Amino acid sequence: MTRRGFTTLGFTFGAATVLGGCSGPQSVFDASGAEAQEIMPLFWTVTGIAVAVTVLVITVSAIAVFAPVHWRRHLTSEKFVVAFGIFLPVFVLSGLLTYGLLVMQAGSARSRSAEGPGVTIIGEQWWWRVIYDGPEGEEIVSANELRLPVGRPVAIRLQSDNVIHSFWAPQLGGKLDMIPGRTNTLTVEAIEPGISRAQCAEYCGGAHALMSMYVVAMEPDDYRQWLEAEVNPATKPADAVRREGQRLFIAHGCGGCHAVRGTPAAGTIGPDLTHVGSRHSLAAARLPNDPQSFRRWLTDNQHIKPDNFMPEYDVFSDSELDAIAAYLDGLE
Amino acid sequence: MAIFLPRRRAVALGAIMVIAGGLALGAVFVLSGAYNVAASVRHFDITNKLIKLTLRRSIDTHSAFVKVPDLQNADLVRLGARHFANGCQPCHAAPGSRQNPIVAGMYPSAPPLGVNADDWEQDELFWIVRHGLKFTGMPQWVGDGRDDEVWAVVAFLRELPGMSEQRYNELAGAAGSRSGFTLEVAGEELFAQCIACHGDDRTEPVSATVPSLDGQKQAYLRRALEEYALDMRQSGMMEPLAAALSREQIETLSERFARMSRRPLERTPAEKGRDSQRERGQHIAMKGIPRQSVPACASCHGQTSAATFPRLAGLSKAYLATQLRLYRQGTRGDSAYGQIMQSVARKLTDEQADDVATYLAGVSDLPSIEAPAPASTPR
Repeated sequence: MTRRGFTTLGFTFGAATVLGGCSGPQSVFDASGAEAQEIMPLFWTVTGIAVAVTVLVITVSAIAVFAPVHWRRHLTSEKFVVAFGIFLPVFVLSGLLTYGLLVMQAGSARSRSAEGPGVTIIGEQWWWRVIYDGPEGEEIVSANELRLPVGRPVAIRLQSDNVIHSFWAPQLGGKLDMIPGRTNTLTVEAIEPGISRAQCAEYCGGAHALMSMYVVAMEPDDYRQWLEAEVNPATKPADAVRREGQRLFIAHGCGGCHAVRGTPAAGTIGPDLTHVGSRHSLAAARLPNDPQSFRRWLTDNQHIKPDNFMPEYDVFSDSELDAIAAYLDGLE
Repeated sequence: MAIFLPRRRAVALGAIMVIAGGLALGAVFVLSGAYNVAASVRHFDITNKLIKLTLRRSIDTHSAFVKVPDLQNADLVRLGARHFANGCQPCHAAPGSRQNPIVAGMYPSAPPLGVNADDWEQDELFWIVRHGLKFTGMPQWVGDGRDDEVWAVVAFLRELPGMSEQRYNELAGAAGSRSGFTLEVAGEELFAQCIACHGDDRTEPVSATVPSLDGQKQAYLRRALEEYALDMRQSGMMEPLAAALSREQIETLSERFARMSRRPLERTPAEKGRDSQRERGQHIAMKGIPRQSVPACASCHGQTSAATFPRLAGLSKAYLATQLRLYRQGTRGDSAYGQIMQSVARKLTDEQADDVATYLAGVSDLPSIEAPAPASTPR
């Protein structure tokens, strides 16, 4: 390939990478939360001013080097130095600071207004434990998906019991670290129903990049219905295949790490699977949620998410795998 | 200076010619086939002495860093004797039996150890049994990472020189009643071979490190034998035996042990351990250690768990502790099942492994985990 070929290729890839982040479920430019919406004009303002200042500096430098003497003489005048060297920076930076403080003020006002049930998200390696405040103040344990009601600021309490993670749902708002031993509270308000994506934004070990989840914003009524269903124990297996799946699941010790409420499975080491069939993804947004993915995860999870804490269960026959996958898929 | 050059050249040329000539002669010697490799033609005395010196020095040097554990355990001697009868006696003879003439025709022939095991220190015996010896027919230990088994053999070899036939037969038990590597026996005699080490519904295993099989799950026993036979589980004692078994024999034996009623559990106070230790072990067995990502033993090894997962309750502490150690050091874990247990065992500390082995050894059953009471009232 020619040198120009390489350059073209580099530009193409670079542009694709940069522009690829401009839309989609994990993009800051597709704001669907109140905080993200407020941050957006601040971002464009700062970006615009930065561009203007850069252009100004380049222009003045060009004048200083290439322009005729009488132009250059202007640059050295006291008036010019005071105007562009003192007043302009003070004015621009003070303005931006004020603007930034106002946005922060709006955010913290929203934080104070966050009443009603919140959500606790605990960073694990490498998945999210999500605990909702239930209708009667009880804890509803779930995992790897965050559901939010539209139009109400929700306090998200961020914790970790291992290493530092960081919760970032770009469409909703800014990121906030999850630090072992303390609770950081992030308040978000979804403004329209829809599905976006959150990502761990602090390196937390080998599979850090594979620690994501979907954030589902729902109409308040839908959300209430969903939360009421989420309180319930798991649905009973509907047919013989799923019953066999449940038997295999319990007999092979899956309940040692995973909980399926309403069955002997009550482990707290791995994600709660009580309603796993109703989530939008498996393995922290690593796989689509379908029986085939359950099968793959059971037997090949160390390839799908290297070094994750679950051992591979390459001990089942084909029909046994189908039964377990059908059982888990049916846990809606 | 210049005057010395021709002489130096002459010396160099001479040296090169000598070396080249030597190489050529060597090549002729090797390639012509003149050397006789026959076992029937003995080495020259000097060659013999040189080989023996090399052997002694090599063993002495290589065993320098072997640490000898406490071998004062009568269990180990007995276990070593039973393996000796299976794996060593065919070549090395035993008290009261003469070396097989075929073996005596080997060159070098396997030394009758009843006479000269005394020639070696314990660390040297360990090294020889563990690694084998090149060009002698002495194989290396087939169970990778099973130094614990090798030491059982060493414990026995220490006592072997001058041992009476009666004492040997008593130590070797049923295993000593035959000769040959393979289990060319069937039915009751084959079963007796297993019981000689593993015990049955009345007798204990020959050593605490050997698992009792009475009432163990059949699917697990079948899997264990298959894994040994395929070198997916390491044991210098079990691998050669399992490899000699046919599919039908594995089926019969595993079924027979599975059907066997269980020997009542009897534990000495020492085996039972302290109360606090048992309690800690019980907690791990029933609740796990969630903050270390260790699930409860009972979730996979409880009474109603899958048939391919072994029952652990009532097995000896020495066996359980050894197996946990093998998992943790990566010796056990080649099979898909082993991988699962290895990932759990590796998260235990030494003390936790000891606690949980103590607890499991002291109970005859491990209940399965029951459905917990609902924390919240379903609406």
